[in-house]
Amino acid sequence: MTSRWRDLGLAGLGLVLLLLVPVFGAPPAIRDFIMFGMAYGLLAMSLNLLIGYTGLVSFGHAMFFAAGAYAFGLAMQSGKFSIPGAFVLAIGFTALMALIVGAICVRLNEIYFAFLTLAFQMLFYNIILGWVSFTGGDQGLMGGIPRPKFLGIDLADRTQLYVFCSVAFVVCIAILRQIVTSPFGYTLRMIRDNQERAAFLGINVIMVKLACFVMSACIAAVGGILLTLFVSGAYPNFGFWTTSGEAIFMILLGGSNVFLGPLVGTVILRLLNDITVTYTSHTELVLGIVILILVLGLRKGPLDLLAERWENRRQAKAQAVRDAADKDAQTGRDA
Amino acid sequence: MDLDALLRCVGTTSCVVTQLTSGMIIGMLLFLIASGVTLIFGVLNVINFAHGSLYMIGAYAAWTFYQLTGSYFVSALGAAVAVGVLGVLFERVLMSKVYGSNVLMQLLVCYAVVLISDDLIKIIWGPVPLSMGMPPEFRLPPVRFMGGVIPPFYIFMILAAMAIGLLLWLVIGRTRFGSIVRAAAINGPMVSALGIRVNLYYAAVFGIGSALAGAAGALAAPVRSLTPGMGFSILIESFIVTVIGGMGSIVGAFAASIIIGLTRSFGSIGFPLFVDGVMFLIMALVLIFKPSGLFGRAHR
Amino acid sequence: MTSIEQRRASRRQLLKGAGAIAAAGLVGAPAISRAQTGAIKIGVPTILSGRVAILGQSSVGALKMSFDKVNAEGGINGRKIEMVVRDSKGAPQEAAKVTRDLINNDGCQIIIDAEASSAAFAVQEVIREVGVLCIHTNSETSSLTADPKLYVPTAFRTARQGIHDAIGGGDYAAKVAKAKGLKKWATCSPDYAYGRSNTAEFMEYAKHFDGNITVVEETWPKLFQPDYTEVVTKLLNAKADAMYSALWGGDLVAFIDQANLYALFEKQASFMVNLGDYGVVDQVKQFPQGVYSGGRYNRTVPPTPENEAWYLEYVKTQKSKPTNWSWENAVGAQFLIEALKKTNGDTNGKKLAEAIKGAKIKTPFGDGGTITMRAEDNTTINYIIGYGLSLSKEPYISDFKTSPWEPILELEKQWKKKQGYAT
Repeated sequence: MTSRWRDLGLAGLGLVLLLLVPVFGAPPAIRDFIMFGMAYGLLAMSLNLLIGYTGLVSFGHAMFFAAGAYAFGLAMQSGKFSIPGAFVLAIGFTALMALIVGAICVRLNEIYFAFLTLAFQMLFYNIILGWVSFTGGDQGLMGGIPRPKFLGIDLADRTQLYVFCSVAFVVCIAILRQIVTSPFGYTLRMIRDNQERAAFLGINVIMVKLACFVMSACIAAVGGILLTLFVSGAYPNFGFWTTSGEAIFMILLGGSNVFLGPLVGTVILRLLNDITVTYTSHTELVLGIVILILVLGLRKGPLDLLAERWENRRQAKAQAVRDAADKDAQTGRDA
Repeated sequence: MDLDALLRCVGTTSCVVTQLTSGMIIGMLLFLIASGVTLIFGVLNVINFAHGSLYMIGAYAAWTFYQLTGSYFVSALGAAVAVGVLGVLFERVLMSKVYGSNVLMQLLVCYAVVLISDDLIKIIWGPVPLSMGMPPEFRLPPVRFMGGVIPPFYIFMILAAMAIGLLLWLVIGRTRFGSIVRAAAINGPMVSALGIRVNLYYAAVFGIGSALAGAAGALAAPVRSLTPGMGFSILIESFIVTVIGGMGSIVGAFAASIIIGLTRSFGSIGFPLFVDGVMFLIMALVLIFKPSGLFGRAHR
Repeated sequence: MTSIEQRRASRRQLLKGAGAIAAAGLVGAPAISRAQTGAIKIGVPTILSGRVAILGQSSVGALKMSFDKVNAEGGINGRKIEMVVRDSKGAPQEAAKVTRDLINNDGCQIIIDAEASSAAFAVQEVIREVGVLCIHTNSETSSLTADPKLYVPTAFRTARQGIHDAIGGGDYAAKVAKAKGLKKWATCSPDYAYGRSNTAEFMEYAKHFDGNITVVEETWPKLFQPDYTEVVTKLLNAKADAMYSALWGGDLVAFIDQANLYALFEKQASFMVNLGDYGVVDQVKQFPQGVYSGGRYNRTVPPTPENEAWYLEYVKTQKSKPTNWSWENAVGAQFLIEALKKTNGDTNGKKLAEAIKGAKIKTPFGDGGTITMRAEDNTTINYIIGYGLSLSKEPYISDFKTSPWEPILELEKQWKKKQGYAT
């Protein structure tokens, strides 16, 4: 279990690095970029638990992103909850929703799973749009999200908000890391690689998939909460299918086989977006061409590619060592 | 909810006739698009997320041809052919490069094409919504039938869509080309081993599917406004149709298109605010109880 | 095509400097905030991609025209005005992010928010936090300025306000209804906040002015719905005497094309508040008779030389026709320029807000030549509101009747009380 302590150490180091950003007086825009990235990063990272580790391609993940955002925003606007209370409530609500949706969806395979999650997402989106008196319809939650102080923390202060987001983000990433390195995580991979074999070994595939579905939804909900805090509102397009699509692209741009791949993808996509928006009004054209170049040129996420190279080299080295050892043994025997 | 209004409508022939035809109008255009999606999926096992863009390009191409020639029929045919050719290019240059890899890579390529085509449309035709206007030959007063009202252009549209669908069904079901395509759909490498250049067939199928989208765009051009991004909403609806009918089934797409069309036309009277929700609900129910769709075969 | 090329080129020049700073910011260099020297930088979040790219394009066109003029005359106290335009794609969270970036990263001291409604509400929240001056130039949703809960001292609106249009339009509709005996009304508006509140308010005031009016049918097509057949047939079945529609842009063009097939307009009088815009009215190929359209922007409304001159200059410099969004942005720019002159170029949010509050400007788009920024709720009044009969050729509108402002203001007061916005 030394790797577990190493991971936690790395998470701590990551948190320290994130917290150093404001200490060194980075401009607010950089903090904004990071906070925005953390929200979407959690969406992509949690989705990759389904896509990359379990082989469940969900087209509807953004519904949990939106569920977290709306549940949190509505709880805060009701004035009856403290921020931690609303936080827990939002995650609990999302977990319940994911349990119901997941129980229906995980029985299906591949493309049918994808389309069913899409259908549920659009149902949810339609409910948000239609239930105007409660959700504000297409206008979203207006008038700002109140942020009363709790435990001496004031999230109306941009720096404290940044610290709060960083901690929540790192905790979520650490949890995800624990999941994928635990025996449960290996079960997920086994299901991805060969469902029948997993079932044959006595694993309740449906239950494992469902558990994974709910966990990943909860992490996505945290992402939604962070975004709600950032923009001080929640909007229906958080739960539109394009947001799910964006999360998939983040995973693909980064790489689905490396743990932090989706995060790298998030940064790439956000940077691409910010730079194209700054330099041209033809954002779509530029983004489209860049995606084509990446896909047709690399055919893989950049991190996946690096990991593969790394693995090849390691194997080559190991082979060389083995060859050398063989030779030594040979010479030894000769002598 | 206004189920009374729905009951009242079902009680009068004029309302039923009008709503039935309007359901068919919505459904048949959808069918043309969805049949392309389902054909491409059935044979190439590729979900063409860029299909809505092909529809959009078809509509814009028809608009331009109409400006140039003044003949609606020539421009509709021209648009279908042009988009068909574009589809072949798209398949050969881009999609064929990612057949072997992850399904999500195909999705990404399609997404890139959607983005690029939306922006190119804006650069070439401008961001202002365009309208082709009704061709003079169809500027006729609506036909009255059993108290219902049916515009002549829509009669033409329904017949044209049905004829194209029938032709497609015959080509796939009755010709040598069709049987090779069907064989390739089941086992591409085997067909290839028989000395048939299966790649050409793939490209042809993609081209046909695209031409269907182009034709749908041309049929829509006189009555729908042309804007960059117009393929977006139609794409999701055509997926619903494809899934309900069964991925790969043209007959299924036909039936599902009519179901969706009628849901829209009668739903707008009975439950106007939840029409979209009901469409997704139908899709969810089909997926839960018969994932392969109403007419689909079990997933390979 | 050429117009877009040229526009792009000019925008690129504007963006270059801003882009360099943004890029520097991304790699960690501190943002340069040139306090009260150098150019006055104005950030403009707007929509430049997707289906309503025309909104952003015609907004930016008018802003550019206004600021170019000031710069050509030597700027404000010798300082040039520089505009940084960003595409938010209309997504509220992107709009919030882009606005923050414009302020924090590009060093913009002022925001002109050329977003549509839902993104405008997100921008409003950013302004509440940051406290710079902001002028919303496109959002017509009444609550943005009318609801005291949403009030932000440094945020203003120079767009039409839904309630004003509704009262003016309701008055006009009631007059026509009385003259022609239009009693049964149907509505056809897009199913989102703007369409719903606009339609409810219009019908409320139509009924207020003519007690015989009843609404017999409501249809709510989705925003950007491609096919209106089921809506049109439902309207046919309703057999109403008249119809009100708040559809706009491409949706309205498609609706008219499809309704024509059923000869819907021959069976009823139709009132369409958003038909008057260039880009809509000149796209409709087969124009229905007896259709009334609200005033959006038209070169003949008001029929003054100032308006004609502005129109010609816009067409000449921007290579396209101005829209409703163009005049709203031109007014926003003018309020800002005059406030900057008053503060001697000081861009402090509070000082600028003080200078704008209650200000009155001379403008071609004002009723009687002026528009006032009402101090109590930071929104403009006395702009031109009215209805006329639509034509299929230039000037596209005839018999335009300008609505008088006294009854509008009076009824608006009552409306505010009823909404709980005022006591």
